[in-house]
Amino acid sequence: MKEKAQAPEAMLPLTPAVFHILLALADGEKHGYGIMKEVSQRTEGSMRMGPGTLYGSIGRMLTSGLIATTDERPDPAVDDERRRYYRLTDFGLRVAEAESRRLDQLLRIAQSKHVLAPSQGGF
Amino acid sequence: MASVSTLRQVALADRCYRLLLLTYPADFRRAYAAEMASTFRACCREALREEDSWGLVRLSGSTIYDLITTSIKEHLQTLLSRLKHLFGNQVPLVSPAGLDAMLLTAPLRLQVAQHTDIGCKRIANEDNLITVLPEDPQILQDKGALFVVADGMGGHTQGDRASELAVSTVREVYYQEMHEDKASSLVHAIKQANTLIHKENMAWSGAFDDKTGMGTTCIAAILQEKTLTVANVGDSRIYVIHEGQIRQISRDHSLVADMVRAGLITPEQANHHEQRNVIYRALGTAAEIDVDVFEETVAEGDALILCTDGLCGLVKDEAMLQIVETYQPEESVQQLIARANAAGGPDNITAIVVRVTA
Repeated sequence: MKEKAQAPEAMLPLTPAVFHILLALADGEKHGYGIMKEVSQRTEGSMRMGPGTLYGSIGRMLTSGLIATTDERPDPAVDDERRRYYRLTDFGLRVAEAESRRLDQLLRIAQSKHVLAPSQGGF
Repeated sequence: MASVSTLRQVALADRCYRLLLLTYPADFRRAYAAEMASTFRACCREALREEDSWGLVRLSGSTIYDLITTSIKEHLQTLLSRLKHLFGNQVPLVSPAGLDAMLLTAPLRLQVAQHTDIGCKRIANEDNLITVLPEDPQILQDKGALFVVADGMGGHTQGDRASELAVSTVREVYYQEMHEDKASSLVHAIKQANTLIHKENMAWSGAFDDKTGMGTTCIAAILQEKTLTVANVGDSRIYVIHEGQIRQISRDHSLVADMVRAGLITPEQANHHEQRNVIYRALGTAAEIDVDVFEETVAEGDALILCTDGLCGLVKDEAMLQIVETYQPEESVQQLIARANAAGGPDNITAIVVRVTA
């Protein structure tokens, strides 16, 4: 029996903020500021999320089960304040995979149309 | 060690930001204000460390812009959930990220449920289905919501591959197609799926000298505001329920359906005819395919049912009408599938039920 009511594809396409947050959490749990820094570094500053965008997205991602909170603890690398940590759920990982596949296919089309040279694709 | 002046600047920015956080709805503040303030403080310290006071000014500017836009969004979100509470527990057509679209388009709401079941006799489920409610407001406004059901067939469990290719290709191609006309985009998407499946068939038959091949039916529906656009190949169906009446919108490409249309047999006889599974149009069987297109206007309170013949071949239209009119979509889908299984469940059973409310 297949149950596709929770098909990851039903969540697509993702907003840039949601996709970046999923990717930031792909290699381990992080707190909000950690997510923000990771996204900014990975995109070399081209994607900067303000706290409102970040926590608005986090709230919706918690509701739809893409991410979950773990515990609250200080991050000595930042300061001694206690911070809530977030992690990717299995469903969140599947949604990130599905979005990556969708974008990969789009990229291939762009390459086949010579809009983007294959070497520029970064794959 | 941070200088006194740095600490003062951070403290001042922090106080201002905490005040500005009052513009967010109370629930949102309770959940995130403390974290947002702490994140902002960390950003301030970083800006001062890596740049100077000018960095802090730039950060404050972008943070205020972010605060204004997201505060409006969160207030709208709160308002919508209150309305939802007042008018029943309905799933909005757009996710919260698509609030802008909710403002631009008519506030159409959809309740959607979908399920596929192997049935009682088959060893594999070769049906596939998909529902896409785009999060991106622009995509939602331009392209609408998509529902697809496909019933695969073919040896070597290739039917599953064919129906999977059909639903995934239709989704990808439809949302990438820039054509403004929805019907043309949908037909193009189905034709692309046909080409892909047919090419795989050719490769397969070349490699294994197997001429059976795989194929699939495909019914795809776009709902954009109140316009329903349907494209169909095969004998999976879409019904519209309007003011207590159920009506099949698509036309089956099956032998028995043609016999009924020609007056040779009755619909009742068609349901028991030994060739009831024979269809003359399916994706993957030929390089070119004709796709039927239908367009309807739906109204508030209407419901849609998309299904494979594992459901509509066993459960009468009136019984489907009664179930969907009685229950919410989630319960309706379960009831429809249970009814088909109770009637023997000889085939895979798939259903998507969509309820349209204003």
